[in-house]
Amino acid sequence: MLARLTPDVLRILAAYGAAVALFVIGALVHPGFASFPSVTSILLVASFVGLVAAGQCFVILIGGIDLSVPWVLNAAAILLATASLGQNARAFYAIALTLGMGALVGLVNGIFVVWFAVPAVVMTLAMNGVVEGLALGLSGGMTCAACASYAPPVVAAAVHGVFLGIPAALWLWLIVVLIVSFVLAFTRFGRATYAIGNNARAAFLAGVNVNLTTVFLYVLSGLFSALAGILLVGFGGQASLGMGDPYLFQSIAAVVIGGVSILGGRGNYLGAAAGAVSLTALVSVLLALNMPEYGRSIIYGVVILALLLLYGREQRE
Amino acid sequence: MSAAPAATPEAAAAIAAQAVSKAFGGVQALRTASFAARGGEVHALVGENGAGKSTLIKILGGRIPPDAGSLLLDGRPLRLAGTADAARHGIGTVFQELTLLPWMSVAENLLIGREPRSPVGLIRRSALPDEAEALLAGLGIHHIDPRALAAEVSLAERQIIEIARVIIRRPRILLLDEPTSSLVEREVAWLFARIRELSAAGTAVVFTSHRWNEITSIADRITIFRNGAEVGTYTEIAEDEAITLMAGRRVEALYPALPPVPANAPPVLELAEGSLNGAGELGFSLAAGEILGIGGLAGQGHRELFLGLFGAPPLRHGRIRVGGRVMRISSPADAIHAGLGIALVPEDRKSEGLLLPLSVRDNLTLPILARLSRLGVIRGAAERRMSREIISRLGVVTPSAAQPVGALSGGNQQKVLLGRWLLADSRILLLYDVTRGVDVATKHEIYELMTRLAGEGRAILFYSSDTEELAHLCHRVLVLRGGRIVATLTPPALDAEAIVAAAMREAERADAA
Amino acid sequence: MPPESSTVSDIRASGAHHSRRPRATHVVGQNIGLILAAAILLLSIIIFVGMFAIQQNRLPGNFEITSTVNNTMPLALAAIGQTIVVLTRGIDLSVGGVIDLTNALAAIYLAGSVAHMVLVAVLVVLVGAVAGLINGLLVGLGRLQPIVVTLATLSIFQGLAIRVLPQPGGTVPDGFTAFLVNTNAPFALFFLVLAALGWMALRRSRLGVDIFAIGNDEPAAIAHGVNVVRTKVLAYTIGGMLYALAGLFLAANATSGDATSGNVYTLTSIVATVLGGVSLFGGRGSAVGSICGAFITTMIVNILFYAHINPLYQSFYEGLFLVIAVVLGAAIGHLVRRGRA
Repeated sequence: MLARLTPDVLRILAAYGAAVALFVIGALVHPGFASFPSVTSILLVASFVGLVAAGQCFVILIGGIDLSVPWVLNAAAILLATASLGQNARAFYAIALTLGMGALVGLVNGIFVVWFAVPAVVMTLAMNGVVEGLALGLSGGMTCAACASYAPPVVAAAVHGVFLGIPAALWLWLIVVLIVSFVLAFTRFGRATYAIGNNARAAFLAGVNVNLTTVFLYVLSGLFSALAGILLVGFGGQASLGMGDPYLFQSIAAVVIGGVSILGGRGNYLGAAAGAVSLTALVSVLLALNMPEYGRSIIYGVVILALLLLYGREQRE
Repeated sequence: MSAAPAATPEAAAAIAAQAVSKAFGGVQALRTASFAARGGEVHALVGENGAGKSTLIKILGGRIPPDAGSLLLDGRPLRLAGTADAARHGIGTVFQELTLLPWMSVAENLLIGREPRSPVGLIRRSALPDEAEALLAGLGIHHIDPRALAAEVSLAERQIIEIARVIIRRPRILLLDEPTSSLVEREVAWLFARIRELSAAGTAVVFTSHRWNEITSIADRITIFRNGAEVGTYTEIAEDEAITLMAGRRVEALYPALPPVPANAPPVLELAEGSLNGAGELGFSLAAGEILGIGGLAGQGHRELFLGLFGAPPLRHGRIRVGGRVMRISSPADAIHAGLGIALVPEDRKSEGLLLPLSVRDNLTLPILARLSRLGVIRGAAERRMSREIISRLGVVTPSAAQPVGALSGGNQQKVLLGRWLLADSRILLLYDVTRGVDVATKHEIYELMTRLAGEGRAILFYSSDTEELAHLCHRVLVLRGGRIVATLTPPALDAEAIVAAAMREAERADAA
Repeated sequence: MPPESSTVSDIRASGAHHSRRPRATHVVGQNIGLILAAAILLLSIIIFVGMFAIQQNRLPGNFEITSTVNNTMPLALAAIGQTIVVLTRGIDLSVGGVIDLTNALAAIYLAGSVAHMVLVAVLVVLVGAVAGLINGLLVGLGRLQPIVVTLATLSIFQGLAIRVLPQPGGTVPDGFTAFLVNTNAPFALFFLVLAALGWMALRRSRLGVDIFAIGNDEPAAIAHGVNVVRTKVLAYTIGGMLYALAGLFLAANATSGDATSGNVYTLTSIVATVLGGVSLFGGRGSAVGSICGAFITTMIVNILFYAHINPLYQSFYEGLFLVIAVVLGAAIGHLVRRGRA
C-alpha cells in the first residue's frame, strides 16, 4: 500500500489534512466551531465552491481554464428566479432552461477554443463579459419585475431540506463528488481527459478524439456553474448582482490546493473537493477570530502560496 | 587498419572529462566515462544511440552538470555554471536538438549576446541584419536571409545558423553534436572546410556523427563510446572493427533472419496517386507479412508520409486502400479502426508517443478503451489481464503495470508503444525510427519482434535513420527524395551503400558538375 | 583525400536562383499583430469621430481628446506591464491588486510640498516594484505557475489596499493631478511617449532580448546562456512598477483614492495586451501594440456611448468584440504568413 503513496496521492492527503487541521484550530480558538451544526453549515457553503470547482477541475485537467464562471453562475441565478417566478409548477422548466443556458455557454467556449484556436483565457474571459452584458441588459440591471422572484420552494428545499440530519445540498454534492471521481477514474472519458492533459498530441495519435472531448469538458464546466447558481438562489432565496464574483478565484484556488496541476494532466476531483472545504474552513476560522476583511484576504493568499510552495512546484528539467 | 588505443596524456589535453557519471531518472547515461581532446585536433566521438555521446557533449558544453567526476581545461579543474560560463571559457557548442528561437530573426539568433550597440549601450536593431549578413558571408554563407524568422528557414539552414552562431564567437573548444544530420554533402563539405580552418588555428574540435565516411575524412582521432563509457581512442580503425566495438557484438548476429513474404500474400495497404507537398507522384503497395523500408536523407517527406497514412494530418492527395478497400482516413481514430487496423509508432516517443506521467497500463490500453469498456465504463479486470499479458509477452521490464511509463528505460518505453498496437491487433504497423535512442540489446529484441510480427502476417512500413537497419530488416526499400520515390531496392541489390547512393545521387551529380 | 577547402568555402542554396523576399514583407509579417492593432485603433477612431460629428455637429475637440487620453493612461501603463510579463510566457493577475494598493497609498500620503509629493510618488512606485519582485521571485526562483502565484498575490495586495484605505477617500493635491493629467490639454500623452520610449530602450537591451528569448523557447534560451530566474524576476518587477504608475494616474484622475477601483485592470490589461497583438504564448508582441489595445478599449466604450447602446449591455459588446478581434487577427496573420511562404 505504501507504494501507492505517490506525490499525487500525497497532495490530496495534504488537502484533507489541511481541512481537518483548520477544523481543529477553529475548535481551539472558538469552542463549538467543530460542532455538528457548525461543520455542516461550513460544508454547505463549501459545496457551492465545490460544485463550481468540479467544472473548473475538468477544464484545468486538460490545461485549460474557465474564467466565465462568475457570470454564468450569476446569470443562472437570475434566469432561474425570473423563469420560475418562485412557483413550484415552473421549477422544472426553469431548472432545465438554466442548465441548458450553462451548457450552451460552455459549448460556445469549447467550440472557439478548439476550432478557432482562441486561447482559453481569452475566450472564457470574453464569454464572461458577453454573459454579463446579456444578464444585465435583459434584466434591466436586475430591475425587472420578475427579478425579485424568490426561489421556488422545491429549489430551496433541495438546499435546506434535511435528510438524515444533513442538508440536502450536501447530499447532492456528495453524489457529485462520487460521480465525478468515478468518471475521472474509471471511464473512457476520464482516461481521455487525463491523456489530453498530459500530452494532447500523443493522445490524438493514440486515437483519442481530442476536439470532442475538449468541447464536452467546457460544456460540463458551464453546467456545473449553472447548477451552483441554481443552488445559490435556493440557499439565499433571491438572485443578486455580483453573487458569482467570488467563485472564480475560489474555484481555481480549490482546484489548485487540491493538488490538480494548473498545467493539466494531474490530480483529481477528490482533491479539489478537499480544497473547497479547506478554503471555506479557513474563511470560517478567520471569521471566528473576528478577522477583518483585509486580514482574511491577505491570509487567504498567503495560505495558498504556502501550500503551493509545499507541493506545487514544477519539476526542473 | 586497426591500431592499439592511443595514449592520451591528459596534461596535453585542451579539454578533458575524468570519470564523469550522469543519470537521468533511472537511466545511467554516463558511467565513469573519460575523454580528452587536444588543441588543434579534430576528435570524433562515435557510438550507438544512447551510448552517452550527447550527454558528454552537454556536460562539456556546460548545459548540464555531471553527477560525479571532473572536467579539466588546459589541465586545470573546470566547473561550469551554464552555457554562458562555458562560452566565457572559450567553449562553444552546437547541441543536437536545435536551440534557435523561432520567432526571432536569423540575425537576432546569430548575434544574441553580441549585438552591435549604439554609444548609449542600446542594441542597434536596424544594424543587425547587415552585420549578420557580413558575418555569414565571411563564413561563405550567402543564401540565408538574415531578416527571415528562424521558424521560416529550412531545417538544414537552421543547422547551419546554429553552427555559424558558435563559429563566429571563435571558440577554443568547439563541440558539435551530430552537426551533419540534416545537411547534404555540399553543406557537409562547407562545414568540414570551416572545421579545418579552426583546427589549423589551434581549436580543439569534438564532433559526433553516424556517417563513417565523414568521420574518416576529417577526424584525427576517434573515441568509441558504448553503454555510457569510452571503449578506447584510436588514430586509425577500420569501420567493421569500430562497429563491432560500438555494438559490443558481431553485427551479423544483431539482425535476425527475415521470413520470406508468401508469394500469394495479399496487399494490405496501398497508396496510389499520392503526393507530398505537391511534389511528384507517390505510390506503393505493402503486402501482408512484408517489411517495406522507406529510406533517404532526413527531411525528404518521410514524416509527412507516415503521419499522412495515419490521418495526422491526412495526405492532401492520394487514394489509400486498406485490405483492398478504399478508405478515407481523416484522423488517427479512423486509421486505428480502418479495416485491418493501422498503427503508428511515431518519431519521438516522448512528445508524440507516450503519456509519460501515466501508467504503463494506461498507455497500453488507450487506443482500445472502446473495446474494453461497457457503457463508457472501463472493465478493470479485463484491462489488467490484457496489459499483464502483453507486458510478459514483450518482456517489458517494469515493477508493475501501474508504474509511470516515464520511469522506464528508453527500450522498454518503445516496447510499451509497440505493445499498445499489438493489443489493438493492428495488422498494419507504421514504424518510424523505432530504434532511435535504444540500447543494443533492446534493439535486437525489437528486430526479433518485427520479424516475428511479419512472420505472423502483419505488414510493416519501416523508416529508420540507420541505413544498416533498413538493409538488414526489409524485404524491399523505397528511397524517398524530395517527396518522390527515386529508387526501389530489392535483394541482392539491397544494401546500405545502395540506399545511401540512391538518396544522394542527385546531390553528387550536382557536385560533379 | 578530402577536397581542398577553397573549393567548398561557399555554400549556396540548391538551385541557382534563391530570391529573397523584400524587406517590407518581413517587416509586415513580423509585426502583423502591431499593425492590426494600429489599424483597428484607427478604424475605431474614425467611427467615433464620425458618430460624434453627426450627433454634435462638430469634431471632437480638446476636451474629448484630453479626457480620452487621461482615462486611458492607467490602462495603457498597466497593459505595458502586463505585456512584459506575457512576453516571458507568463501572466499577471495581480495587476488589480497592485493598482488598488498603490492608488490607496497615493490618496493617503500625497500632500504638501512638491518635494514631498515626489518622494511619496517614488516610494509608491517602489512599493509596486516590491510587489512585482515578490511575484517574480515566486515564479522564477520558486518555479510556481504564474497564473496561480499572481492569483494568490492578487488577494494579498487587495487585502493590503483595504487595510491602507478601508473606505474610499483621501485626497490627491490639485498640483499632482495637474502635473500628471492636466485637464486642459492632453499633456499626459507626454508620459505615454516616455513610456513607449522606455519600451523601445528595453527592447534594445540585454534584458529585453532575454525576455523575448525566454518567451520563444525557455530551454533554448538556457542553452544560449540566458539567466532565466534573473530575467523573470526583473520582468515581473518592471511590471509591478508600471502598475504602480497606473495607480498614481488613477489617483490623479479621481483626485481621491479607492482601494477597489483598480480591480478591473487585471482583466482589462489582459484584453488590451491581446488586442495589441501580443501572443499569450510568449515571445511575440510589442508594448506599443498594447498601448493601441488600451486605446481601442476606451474607443469602444466611447462608440457604444454615442451609438446609444444601453450601458448595461456594454460588457456584452466588449466581449463579443474581443473574440471577433482575436479570431480575425489570427485569420489575417495566417493569411499573411501563407502568402509569404
